[in-house]
Amino acid sequence: MGCIKQIITSLTIGLLSISMFTACTSDKKKFENSISIAYGSDVKALDPVFAEDYYASQVSSQIFETLYEYHYLKRPLVVQPLLAESMPKISEDGLTYTIKLKKGIFFQDNEAFKEGKGRELTAEDFIYSWKRLLDPANKSQGTWVFDGKVKGVSDWREKMRKGLADYDTPIEGLQATDKNTIQIKLEKPYHQLIYVLAMTYTAPTAKEVVDKYGEEIINHPVGTGPFILKDWIKSNKIVLVKNPNFRDMTYPTEKDEEDPESMLKDAGKKIPFVDKLVFNIITEDQTRWLNFMKGNLDILSIPKDNFDSSIANDQIVTDLADKGLELHVNTEPDLTYIAMNMKDPILGKNKKLRQAITLAYNTDAALKKFYNDRGIVAQSIIPPTIDGYDPSFKNPYKDFDVEKAKKLMVEAGYPNGKGLPEFEFATTSSSTAVQMAEFFKDQMSQIGINIKIVPNSWPQFTQKIHDAKAQIWGIAWVSDYPDAENFLQLLYGENVSPGPNGSNFVNAEYDKLYKQALLLPSGEKRTKLYHKMRDIASEELPMIPMIHRQGYYLTHGWIENFKRHITISDNFKYIRVNMDKKKKLKPEL
Amino acid sequence: MIRKSQNSLWNDAFQRLKKNKLSMVCLFIIIAYIILALGCKLGLFFPSFNETNNAISYQAPSAEHWFGTDFMGRDVMARAAHGTLTSLTVGLWGTGLAVIIGTLLGSLAGYFGKLVDEGIVWLYTTIDTIPYILLVSAFSLVLGPSLYTLCIAIGLTTWVGLCRVVRAEFIKHREKEYVQAASSIGASHARRIFTHILPNVFHIVLIQFSLGFVSTIKSEVILSFLGLGVEPGTPSWGVMINNAKQELARGVWWGLASATLLMFVLVLAFNLFNDALRDALDPKLKNKS
Repeated sequence: MGCIKQIITSLTIGLLSISMFTACTSDKKKFENSISIAYGSDVKALDPVFAEDYYASQVSSQIFETLYEYHYLKRPLVVQPLLAESMPKISEDGLTYTIKLKKGIFFQDNEAFKEGKGRELTAEDFIYSWKRLLDPANKSQGTWVFDGKVKGVSDWREKMRKGLADYDTPIEGLQATDKNTIQIKLEKPYHQLIYVLAMTYTAPTAKEVVDKYGEEIINHPVGTGPFILKDWIKSNKIVLVKNPNFRDMTYPTEKDEEDPESMLKDAGKKIPFVDKLVFNIITEDQTRWLNFMKGNLDILSIPKDNFDSSIANDQIVTDLADKGLELHVNTEPDLTYIAMNMKDPILGKNKKLRQAITLAYNTDAALKKFYNDRGIVAQSIIPPTIDGYDPSFKNPYKDFDVEKAKKLMVEAGYPNGKGLPEFEFATTSSSTAVQMAEFFKDQMSQIGINIKIVPNSWPQFTQKIHDAKAQIWGIAWVSDYPDAENFLQLLYGENVSPGPNGSNFVNAEYDKLYKQALLLPSGEKRTKLYHKMRDIASEELPMIPMIHRQGYYLTHGWIENFKRHITISDNFKYIRVNMDKKKKLKPEL
Repeated sequence: MIRKSQNSLWNDAFQRLKKNKLSMVCLFIIIAYIILALGCKLGLFFPSFNETNNAISYQAPSAEHWFGTDFMGRDVMARAAHGTLTSLTVGLWGTGLAVIIGTLLGSLAGYFGKLVDEGIVWLYTTIDTIPYILLVSAFSLVLGPSLYTLCIAIGLTTWVGLCRVVRAEFIKHREKEYVQAASSIGASHARRIFTHILPNVFHIVLIQFSLGFVSTIKSEVILSFLGLGVEPGTPSWGVMINNAKQELARGVWWGLASATLLMFVLVLAFNLFNDALRDALDPKLKNKS
């Protein structure tokens, strides 16, 4: 069960860029201590309940905080307390988690509170917020984090639907036993709970704020985090400023072995370092690139068409290096895939047809064309860097083989595509997305399958998938937590639309294995089950695994402490802007 | 000397047009484009415009591919030529629809006046207040991108200018003697509008049509540039220019060059021809040339 951090394949690695923006005019020589990042898609809501895509989740996690977070520098990811005082106390049967809250944590100031001063965070706030998340009326996509796993949740949701319960009706498994203690009781072991408590979905919101703003709450985020929402111009930019009342929190004192010593030069210093964060919405790759080159954005994921001009032999080219730019390369727990809707009467009923489609798609060519050959051809739905990835696995259908695909088409009953209707390929309307769709169309024409490309806006696109109205589409999944389960749940029978299983794949054996694996802690036994599920998915192919993208980021010379992991979204509080360097480097761009 | 009936406004105009060498060159260019488009439609020219070859994507211009290849290894010259077909199709149908709507509403409003006029004026004023590109994009979003949606969207949104002009002409003509004469011998409203007044204002419709044609071609390119135009995969200048904003970063200029060159020549030819046509058809300029 993973949260939805779906990013369309089209937007390439490009979207997830962080960048810096100076609102100053150069003649005044005024430089702001700020970081700004550019997204390729709009942010729909700033509310933990709706933190379902990458963008919403990342902006929200600067404002809201969760009980746990990941250590900024250590790899593989390590969970550490954030709002919690310590790691949870787990009962011997593994079913009861007791979590103590840190004391002295205050909400950000807002007129919803008495005299406008943020009040202290209590355990009740978590229970209230989790009920909001689970409230069927809110239609959150994050209900899976507790539903079916925590005692009494399904029951409460059912009663809420029938109007037999309200927010005062207790949920057995989610209780505040005193002002600072939360108790979570599980129906069965749930080893991903600790990860889920680090996801923005489970961040607390104050009841006063929700009551004051009503439906408008999605535009009025008030959390406990290091940044406060100052300005939000829809489809343009979101401006956050430093929370003046943020508690004393410090930069980590330990680093990963691979990190340079300089990553610890701020060790023990109070965070956040910057005064302002700006999230720009810039749809087009080249606009982002040019803004970055001008220094308006200063951390950027390299757009596909700019690789040749910025990287040579995996090193940054000299004229960019001379400007102070730095290159950061990350292997990411990421998967782009082409999903097919199993509810479709033809695609869903015909395994051989899906296998033929997979065989006829030349992933190597796509990798070259769209990702500059920087990435790994995905053999299965489990990506690298997470528990359960097996680099030696080969998917028999991932070899590009048109002849074999044609044979399978005959076996499927559609020799050379005869008798098949035209399939709709849903995509977003950015030019890269459309190019990818055109490539798919072209590949399918080799075996006689006709594809009609239908571009959509991003909300239209996700809506189609949630409503199970899409036929074939390309999308991506970025891990929410370092466990292969987060990817395997994309095909779990109970997660069908509007859940994350957009393919609407239902397979009794797969579901059985999935349920078994859920009960197991990390280890060989669980990995075996994961691999069995992976094999079913590789044979049935409700989705074609495409590419594990790698992150290529450029930063300007004045950005310090930059380290990226796609699962860590609250990273801006650790980044420092070296003002001296900025004053020196920026005017020369 | 009594003039032959053929030696009408139209004949006169054509004679005047013929004298203007530049306009004739433009006319030939336009005809050449039409032949190119028809040839593409019938599969005579560039039948392999959709042939892909991943091995040669983004190949620079060469003897084999004069304008290079695009990201799918398709011949850019063939794509650009087929873009002509797309542009002319949209131009013809989109403007055609606009002309029908604009002429019909304009003549009704101008001829009947009063409530009918007020209703129609209200309608086009309202439509005119909505920025044109927004209106067209709304249509494209609702109807889904395809060549026909584009024609309908453009047709339904660009008739206002023509409607105004036709309305004004009808107001002028409806009180003229020949109309009164027609009515006195019992000609119906429809007869008075369509057989008597309309032919006398038709030169204006024609000028508006050819002016609209140019702006429709540009609209197609703009909408395709915004991702709201033709169905993906259909060759279109707008799509080629749109892709170029990324391709330029990797030094691929030929897509942009060929699409803009073809569009530039066509639009220029049309504009020059329009000017000449307007002069030729304008009775006030009749004796000056």
